[in-house]
Amino acid sequence: MKLYKSIKWRLQLWYGLILVVVLAGFGVTAYQLDRNRLLRQVDNQLHQRVKVLADDLHHRPRGQDANRPPPGQPPHDPGFEGAPFDRPPQDQFQNDGPPPQPQRNRRLLDFHLPDEDAHYFEAGDPHSFYFSINDRDDNLLAHSDNFEWANSVTTQVKTASVNGGPTLGTPTPNFEGPRRLVSEDLPSGDTILVGCSIAPEMKELRLTALKLAGVGSIILLLGLAGGGWLVSRALKPINDISATAVKISAGDLSQRINVAEAESELGQLAAVLNATFARLETAFAQQKQFASDAAHELRTPVSVILTQTQTALNRERDAASYRLTVEACQRAAQRMRKLIESLLALARFDAGQEVLNRQPFDLAQTIADSVELVQPLADERGVKLTVSAAPLVLTADAGRLAQVVTNLLTNAIQYNQPEGEVRVTLAAEGGLAVLTVTDTGQGIAAADLPRVFGRFYRADSSRTGAGNAGLGLAICQAIVTAHGGTIEVASTENVGTTFTVRLPVAEDLSA
Amino acid sequence: MRILIVEDEPDLLASLAQALREEGYAVDIADNGDDGLFNAEGTDYDAIVLDVMLPGLDGWELLKRLRKTKKTPVLMLTARDQTRDRVKGLDTGADDYVVKPFDLEEVFARLRAIIRRSTNKTTNLIELGEVKVDTAARHVFYQDKPVELTAREYSLVEFMALHRGEVVTRTQLYEHLFDENESSLSNLLDVHVSNVRKKLGADFIATRRGHGYCIE
Repeated sequence: MKLYKSIKWRLQLWYGLILVVVLAGFGVTAYQLDRNRLLRQVDNQLHQRVKVLADDLHHRPRGQDANRPPPGQPPHDPGFEGAPFDRPPQDQFQNDGPPPQPQRNRRLLDFHLPDEDAHYFEAGDPHSFYFSINDRDDNLLAHSDNFEWANSVTTQVKTASVNGGPTLGTPTPNFEGPRRLVSEDLPSGDTILVGCSIAPEMKELRLTALKLAGVGSIILLLGLAGGGWLVSRALKPINDISATAVKISAGDLSQRINVAEAESELGQLAAVLNATFARLETAFAQQKQFASDAAHELRTPVSVILTQTQTALNRERDAASYRLTVEACQRAAQRMRKLIESLLALARFDAGQEVLNRQPFDLAQTIADSVELVQPLADERGVKLTVSAAPLVLTADAGRLAQVVTNLLTNAIQYNQPEGEVRVTLAAEGGLAVLTVTDTGQGIAAADLPRVFGRFYRADSSRTGAGNAGLGLAICQAIVTAHGGTIEVASTENVGTTFTVRLPVAEDLSA
Repeated sequence: MRILIVEDEPDLLASLAQALREEGYAVDIADNGDDGLFNAEGTDYDAIVLDVMLPGLDGWELLKRLRKTKKTPVLMLTARDQTRDRVKGLDTGADDYVVKPFDLEEVFARLRAIIRRSTNKTTNLIELGEVKVDTAARHVFYQDKPVELTAREYSLVEFMALHRGEVVTRTQLYEHLFDENESSLSNLLDVHVSNVRKKLGADFIATRRGHGYCIE
């Protein structure tokens, strides 16, 4: 069995895939939730610092704002003098190598983070909080110590001045790695920007991701193992069925599936299969019996021919003696021919290959012909034949039905008492032609009735000499069934037997 | 040797009977089980050829009933060659079986074998002084020269030889040498005995007056 074709492995694969999808969904969700939580914490801290800075600015003496330039003009801070603001800082940086140390905005030189708030921006903090304060024209007014002029312009900073002046270079924190920023515009027009490194959070998130992946893998492995066990368990009956089927196909038809859970779907399947196997075995046994019976029936005539010829050839004989031998051989051959014809007819009916020659004909006439045919036999046995048949036209195979009638009549005469009687009736009953043949013979035991139409059944189990192989009624049944009709037998021991044949009058096209 | 054939197929019965008669056996026939049992119980046959499938009593039943009173060797003719049928036949008391269709030669050989076994002989050659009887070839030698005997004479010699040392009564001889259809003229037996003495020596068969004959 190829692995990818095995139901077990396909189930496992699907099961595993679904598990992976579910676990991934859970993992991603859990990761996102954790990330959001951590970032919210960071944001809270950032907002807190913004608030602290805003408060500190607010309490700063107002006079220090006097030197503030009017909006829309670049600052005129001496601290900025010499700084080439007419050129983009980038170019300057590119051309001049290391960026110049930013000079503190003069206006804010006296802004000092109050000591009580200094811990908010302590250098040792793993988050490396930093801040900057810009005026409405994006002029940097103040920044934390861990701020320095970076060699790139960060986008978080409002870039252009209103009058289209040069973009102000923005200081960046003096550390690498991911950051998070919060900015707030104060009513005064200043903008406070607080940022921090979120490297610790990222580290924590990586750890979380690793944990999730680890737990997910363990769950996946456990799930696959459990699923494998479940699938094996569920498929075990199938394996049993398969093993039994293999034994049966190897020829042991007596094998049956052990149905432990008759209520489950597989139990029902097993029961159905067992029933099929039983029918198969019966059919096979019948076939075997049929072949054996057929061979057996041929043995006696062959024995006759062998002994007759061997005896005849043992010594010289006169013509009359040879004649007797030849006649005996002819009888044996006729008997074999009859048997072979019967067997072939039955085989054709079994295979559905027998073609019925359906023509309209009068069944009463057929009965009359058959009676005429068997009359000598009846006379010989002293059996009286009475017929009560009104003309009845059928569309059927006249020859085959004549065979049925003759066969039933012959049986009725042969198994009758001396001076007995055989009655034949034919009547139409609701679209059916009903033919009955009743004898006054010894009858058939109730136990034997179901076997009467069986092949090689004989009323007298050892009538081998009668030239009757016990196929006549089986053939009658096959003919009647092929016409869409039924044949039944009723019998009372020591009183007589009645065979009843019912045939559809109209041609049954389905038959 | 007298044999009963019980067989219901008339052509088979007729040819078997004819062939066995030509082999020198006295043959009785029955074409159904009831007659067969009646004959088998009433006469001391040397062997019975019994078909299994018979009208009336079948072969098994006939054999079962016969075995209550007689040990006559029985050769079954069966049309079924399955092992269980053979086993059944042998278990019921058959001495051997032949499966139809059979060769006559085989039936003859098996008949000779069961008859020989029933008389406790292990070989086909019986030596009686100067006379030797080959029961397989049905030849008799006197002083190592083959002797021409009629079938009936041979049967007489063979029967006496098989019962060597016993006194065989005239009734016994009639029963075993003649079938039921032959008129048992009492001097017919004397004629055969006298002919055998002429061919095999006057002392070969001794007369026990009032009892019968004997081969020493």
